[in-house]
Amino acid sequence: MIHRRAFMKSGALALFAAGFGGVPNFIARAADNRKILHPYKKNKVLVCIFQRGAMDGLMAVSPFTDPNLKTLRPTLFMSPVQAQGGMMDLDGQFGLHPALNSLSSFFKEGRMAIVHGVGSPNNTRSHFDAQDFMESGTPFNKGTSSGWLNRAVGLTGHEATPFSAVSLTSALPRSLYGDREALAISNLQDFAIQMQGNPMAGNMAAKSFESLYDQTSNQLLNKTGKESFEAMKILKSTDIKNYQPANGAIYPNSPLGNSLKQIATLIKMDVGVEVAFAESGGWDTHFNQGTVNGAFARNLRDFSDSIAAFWTDMGQYQDEVTVMTMTEFGRTAHQNGTGGTDHGRASCLFVLGNDVQGGKVYHNIKSLAKADLEDGRDLPVSTDFRAVFSSVSSGHLRLKNTNGLFPGWEGKKVELMK
Amino acid sequence: MSLQRMFKTFTIGAIFTLGAAFTNSNSGLSEIKMPYKKAGLTQEQAAAHLLNRFSYGVQPGQIKEVVNTGLEKWLLQQLEASLADTELNRRLETFESLNLSNDKIVNTYLTPAQVIRVAIRNKLIPADSINNADRQKYREQLRLIQEKEGFKPVQELHRQLINQKVLRAAYSNNQLKEVLTDFWFNHFNVSLTKGQSQQYVMTYERDAIRPYVLGNFKDMLMATAKHPAMLEYLDNALSVSNENERTRRQQNNAVLRAARERVEARLSDTSMPGGALVQQAVAARRTQGLNENYAREVMELHTLGVDGGYAQKDVTEVARALTGWAVKPMYKEGPGRQLIENLNQTQLERRGLMVEGDFLFRGDKHDENPKIILGKQFSGKDGYKEGVQVLEMLSSHASTAQFIATKLARRFVADEPSEAIVKSIAKTFQETGGNIKAMLITMVNHPDFWSKNALREKVKSPFEFAISAIRATKAQVMQPFQIYNWCTKMGQRFYYYQAPTGFPDRANFWINSGSLLNRMNFGLALATQKIPGVRINLLSLNDNHEPESADEALRIYSRILLPERDQEENIKRLTAMVRDTQVEQKINEAASKIKTEMVEDEMEEQEVRRQGAGRQGARNKEGDKIQGVNTMNSTAATVAQVVGIIIGSPEFQRK
Repeated sequence: MIHRRAFMKSGALALFAAGFGGVPNFIARAADNRKILHPYKKNKVLVCIFQRGAMDGLMAVSPFTDPNLKTLRPTLFMSPVQAQGGMMDLDGQFGLHPALNSLSSFFKEGRMAIVHGVGSPNNTRSHFDAQDFMESGTPFNKGTSSGWLNRAVGLTGHEATPFSAVSLTSALPRSLYGDREALAISNLQDFAIQMQGNPMAGNMAAKSFESLYDQTSNQLLNKTGKESFEAMKILKSTDIKNYQPANGAIYPNSPLGNSLKQIATLIKMDVGVEVAFAESGGWDTHFNQGTVNGAFARNLRDFSDSIAAFWTDMGQYQDEVTVMTMTEFGRTAHQNGTGGTDHGRASCLFVLGNDVQGGKVYHNIKSLAKADLEDGRDLPVSTDFRAVFSSVSSGHLRLKNTNGLFPGWEGKKVELMK
Repeated sequence: MSLQRMFKTFTIGAIFTLGAAFTNSNSGLSEIKMPYKKAGLTQEQAAAHLLNRFSYGVQPGQIKEVVNTGLEKWLLQQLEASLADTELNRRLETFESLNLSNDKIVNTYLTPAQVIRVAIRNKLIPADSINNADRQKYREQLRLIQEKEGFKPVQELHRQLINQKVLRAAYSNNQLKEVLTDFWFNHFNVSLTKGQSQQYVMTYERDAIRPYVLGNFKDMLMATAKHPAMLEYLDNALSVSNENERTRRQQNNAVLRAARERVEARLSDTSMPGGALVQQAVAARRTQGLNENYAREVMELHTLGVDGGYAQKDVTEVARALTGWAVKPMYKEGPGRQLIENLNQTQLERRGLMVEGDFLFRGDKHDENPKIILGKQFSGKDGYKEGVQVLEMLSSHASTAQFIATKLARRFVADEPSEAIVKSIAKTFQETGGNIKAMLITMVNHPDFWSKNALREKVKSPFEFAISAIRATKAQVMQPFQIYNWCTKMGQRFYYYQAPTGFPDRANFWINSGSLLNRMNFGLALATQKIPGVRINLLSLNDNHEPESADEALRIYSRILLPERDQEENIKRLTAMVRDTQVEQKINEAASKIKTEMVEDEMEEQEVRRQGAGRQGARNKEGDKIQGVNTMNSTAATVAQVVGIIIGSPEFQRK
């Protein structure tokens, strides 16, 4: 991985300068705004991972001392003894699923927090509706045109760059709908002018396009065109395909692992990423979810190892990065007739970062006794997701003003950031 | 059109008769008097503007045709939308799902979960096989059942929906109808992302949008409100109330109560094979009372607009007025369907049920208390008609006229249309009771439609862009799904926009650095024939005459692809680049040398890892270069390259 300094030395910028009039505009502007040109100046980055399908929070982080758990989940209950491959005791009340082992050190070091009993005040158990509400950040209003992460980027007050809001998905997620420019890209290598099997023609085409966009009278096309080519050249300057993670980090070869690896690539290129979004699927475990092994554990291990690799890879950037996970709802407290769990209410989420007050499970959970469950069946939502999202985003991205981040919400934040 | 569909269309038409006088003839429409000459435009320039806005793009030679036909007559033909579409119909022949009823679709195009349910109910697989750990064997079993029962994966339905949109847009002669279908679908957006509504999206566009796009706004509002896709997408099908006489009687009557409990027990019997799945489906749909989603959006997004003068209280009251609006149970395996089918008309009425097509009104789930909506009193005793009255009131509201006029002007005139033109269109809305043709005529008769602020100032959506490129090059699309994949890359995954707002109709939503590069790449891929299943013959566009130089190719194809536009500056810039491929080659060689040096710098850090792969890479690069030079020497390649650049150019993004 080359850093900005090496990158300048390499002559890459000299090449740009010859063809395109100096330092890329948005970098020059950004530098100008800050009145300093420090090669390692970085933005704070919030990385969000959406676990689509509703993760079973009661299995990922189990209230294992609750006697009801074994009754509700006779065959899904796991041994609370870590030495026997069971859960890791976090605080005498909650146990961490063994598949999350790669994250456990972060919890012990106090840089990872878990929030349990999180969900939406809207009790829909439809994936679509619950995801929609969580991503728009307005649990009772479908018509909100923007997503909460797009609003969050807007509130940083920083000038938009092509990469300030990036989603490693083929289409833009609901979270990033909105006025602020946001980029959806499933593979960074696609960010180029491509002529299959004819790179020379591709180069010529790129130059032609650049010249044409440079002279168009349409301001939007003109400005965006400039940024496209600048961004493209920056990406081209790095060998994305052969990216080598730092500190021996090994990403799982999975969709989430690949997404996080590309996010790491972008962050290290210092192109102004402020919000990055990735997805993880396969959480809708109605059948045979397994316990220590099985479908759920496999998925959870991938989730855990991907995040752990990302964090290790971040190395010297760790102070600038916070990772937050989310899922639309949790699953029934009791297991169903097919060795799985059905759609429930609250689940849990993870926040990892050096400015997180970690090593703690934040929660208001009472018990799994029937009387304490919602509709007698589900872990109730005792923490509004907005109380966590607003705390983490405003704390990490240093948002001074969070008006409009979650319109209509006036609740109290969960204070989990330093 | 199947008899059944004809009958249904006829029924719907007959029910909403008030707007029909406008819908079915042009009587009562104002004369078309387009003031383009006053704006300083020639007939040809005006024809180009009309084609840019009211079609999916200009085909070679089409401006001349429109001028010959006469601009007014062309527009009238488009408003009439009855031109023959023989070629398009031939292309759509193999699409077996296009004319199916909802009933047939929901029982044919199934999600995997539905296949399991049906299979278990019919005892085709033992219930305990769900527990079977061998997933592969299990899937194979399901596949066999699917084949045997004639089920098809729901993705196949989606594929046909997507493909028909691409083909209609590219090849229909009734272009305005296609453009408007896209506009109104987006206005009344539903989405394939929602499981409960996905099977209905095909018929939604066909039955609730398309028949009304050149008709009356109120009819379309009503058709969308009652269509299963919308009822499910915005949850109105779940919105129920027990505030009615029937339910109170039933709750007080022991026999009826027992009967009801029996039905409910049947619905949630977990001991039955696959019971857990059924129960989950039932639980997910278990009625939880009032659901305000549709009521809010019908005011905010479909009619009044967000500042249209309604309050939260109105949202709740509208939701109450629309309680009991539901979808007729259609799943063959579902218990609801048998219940309804076993009742004759009298029995239905006695139970307060009304079936109309696929729409079901449930009087036993309708709120019969009085309501006040936007200041107007409703007694609560009119049942189904109450909801109709509410929607009629919303459709004729002054805020609605203003809101719809603004959206139409934003789509067809400019991102920020003038107040004057919006006001004129809104006035026509009110005078004609929401006649869409009349509003479009007001629009083109207004000077602001032809003003400098409008001409070429709209940026094409990715879909418009892709289709306009297909039309401009007369491309043959054998695999329309490829176009959809490209549109997704360019930022418009149509039919999958999750929010009920629909895609924002503004340039700054469509244009960002990533999507713009993909537009350029699309141009190159299309022109160099790199999109599978999409073929073009560029020489035939120029009467099979080969341009003598790259220069000439540039001039000729700029004129063909972007007629009636001033291209001098672009051509000047590009000429220098295409004129001498020799020079170009040198530049590239020089560039690749600098790049190599850069790579070597990097290699210091990563030498070991690269050694193996590096050699292979160098060989490939060499091969590419040779191929590149060879290709560049052939005229066809030069023309393709030039055309690709024109399509990806900023000028081609504008309409």
